[in-house]
Amino acid sequence: MFFSLADPIVNFLIFGIIQGSIYALLAMGFSLVYGVGGILNQAHGAFYVIATYIFYWFFINLPVFGLLIGIIVALIITTLIGGLVYILLIKPLKDSHVGVVIVTFAFAFFIENLVGILVDKQYHDMPHLIPGYFEILGTSVPYHYLLVIGIAILLVVLITLFINKLKLGKSIRAVAQDAEAASLMGINVDRILAYTLMISAFLTSVAAVLNVPVDIVAPHIGWTILLNSFAIVVLGGLGSLSGSVLGAYIIAFARAYTNFFISPILSALIPIIVIVAMLVLRPRGILGKKEID
Amino acid sequence: MEKLNEKISGFPAYFKDWIKTFRGKVTVLCLIGLILLPLANPNPYIMGIFNTFMIYAIFAVSWDFLAGYVGQVSFGHAIFLGVSGYATAYIIKYFAWPWWSALLLGAVIAVLFGIIVGVPALRLKGPYLALGTLAMSLILYQLFLMGSLGIMWKNAFGTDLFGTDGLGQVPPISTNVDIQYYAILIIMCLSIAFLTHLVKSNIGTIFRAIRDDETGTSASGINTTKYKILAFLISGFFAGIAGGLYALRFSGVNPGVFQPLYSFYAIIMVAIGGIASLSGAALGAFIFVFLGEILRLLGDIPQLEVLGGFAEPIFIFSILLILIIRFAEHGLLGTLLEKLQSLWDIVLGR
Repeated sequence: MFFSLADPIVNFLIFGIIQGSIYALLAMGFSLVYGVGGILNQAHGAFYVIATYIFYWFFINLPVFGLLIGIIVALIITTLIGGLVYILLIKPLKDSHVGVVIVTFAFAFFIENLVGILVDKQYHDMPHLIPGYFEILGTSVPYHYLLVIGIAILLVVLITLFINKLKLGKSIRAVAQDAEAASLMGINVDRILAYTLMISAFLTSVAAVLNVPVDIVAPHIGWTILLNSFAIVVLGGLGSLSGSVLGAYIIAFARAYTNFFISPILSALIPIIVIVAMLVLRPRGILGKKEID
Repeated sequence: MEKLNEKISGFPAYFKDWIKTFRGKVTVLCLIGLILLPLANPNPYIMGIFNTFMIYAIFAVSWDFLAGYVGQVSFGHAIFLGVSGYATAYIIKYFAWPWWSALLLGAVIAVLFGIIVGVPALRLKGPYLALGTLAMSLILYQLFLMGSLGIMWKNAFGTDLFGTDGLGQVPPISTNVDIQYYAILIIMCLSIAFLTHLVKSNIGTIFRAIRDDETGTSASGINTTKYKILAFLISGFFAGIAGGLYALRFSGVNPGVFQPLYSFYAIIMVAIGGIASLSGAALGAFIFVFLGEILRLLGDIPQLEVLGGFAEPIFIFSILLILIIRFAEHGLLGTLLEKLQSLWDIVLGR
């Protein structure tokens, strides 16, 4: 870590909040796509990788405004790719669930290898978006962490308002409840699903830009992202946004706790323990709706 | 017993009918080719490619059985490949068991690992199997990469297991290249024959019913969960056999076998051959391995350096898989073989 291990409890709390905020953004996007379209998007990690590498490329090649331009371009391009993935890959295969899952899985590999070829396959580090530290209870905390928490809270609030208040958000909820009835009411279901994927890609790219400075840049990180998103949405409930946010913080604190106080091995095992336990005990997740089937 | 006798006495007639069909002819031709190959005395490199192909064929067929005939998609078949690879290598290296018993035990251990995530996931409908198996393989990959776990294991048992180096120096099936080749060939034929027989039997009908309409099947009084789990375990067993052979063929395993990459291999091989066709999956494995080898050789040619890394096999195969699923969901070989069959019919003047 970047700070001294003077006070493990403070470190654990800070680390849990930071990771939880980033996981929340990732899991919300993943859960939204599943909840609205029933699409299990295995390319979720690929969106993260795309945003990360665009950001990284601008940072390396543009010395002056690289960070800022990198962020803007990464957000825009990733969002557009999210829409394109829906239109080109998912929409034509909508009738076959297996097809969607396989094609997004293949897309994830495509992106992983593409960035490996275009950039390289090495590990890289990135600097914090805002340099500098301040002190809490004798532990120095980067200003970057405040930015992460602030943006995460802002986005969670904005997305919740958007889904609940705006007309487009209402259309998204209508499609989530019953796509056929929604299309009879004059809602263009395909357009709504494309928007949903774009929102998901946008949230993922924001998480990428915030997380990359505290994590590493490497082509295969997408799989770790996908794994954590899986565990979180299974815990919170597939398709439930509030469940995703809650699950994100639970998983983040659980991983941080085991990492700091027990052992990193247990921390790595947490996602699968959570998935198996939830599938046995409560498959619909903490806040998921009961499925009628 | 009577039934068995009837089957054995009826076999020559069945075989005669089967060989008259186009499919039978192609299969027999391929088999004869594979059996005769060592007589042509190819160099060890070619033999090695054929061994790899046959191991991957078992792996692809096991995935196709589960996805194509039971409709349950696993994105973590690498679990079976990896666990069985490690178990087989470990047993041979540290307990000095004969290779075939280690192989069987390795596959059984892999199946036990599959139960952890497979049973809870298969009780439910929805994407839980795809999700759970992928998660499990990713976690096993992380665990086996951990050096600290490797040191702990070494202190406790005095042997290597975890860590980036994996398990090395596993003795091969036989130092004789031909014996090794035939052993793998026999195991491949037995695996494919067993699974083909299974999908044609009564249980196979139940499997296909579950794939086509799970609710309807359970309404007919069939315990779908039981059969789904059974199919998952059978598939896992054969994937485990492939994993054990993999460890024997490459004289060791490393944590890389748990990567989602290997699950991706199974899917691309089946996609090339056409889903729900076991022999197609084996042919798909053949094309996959040879195309991969050709692409790798292309990458070594200095004149083609302009391509950069774009000739990298995985990159090409990921594009290929996207295109196949998007435009030709029934696979490439199925259509190709149909064309070939109509050509064959024209030649015979039918």
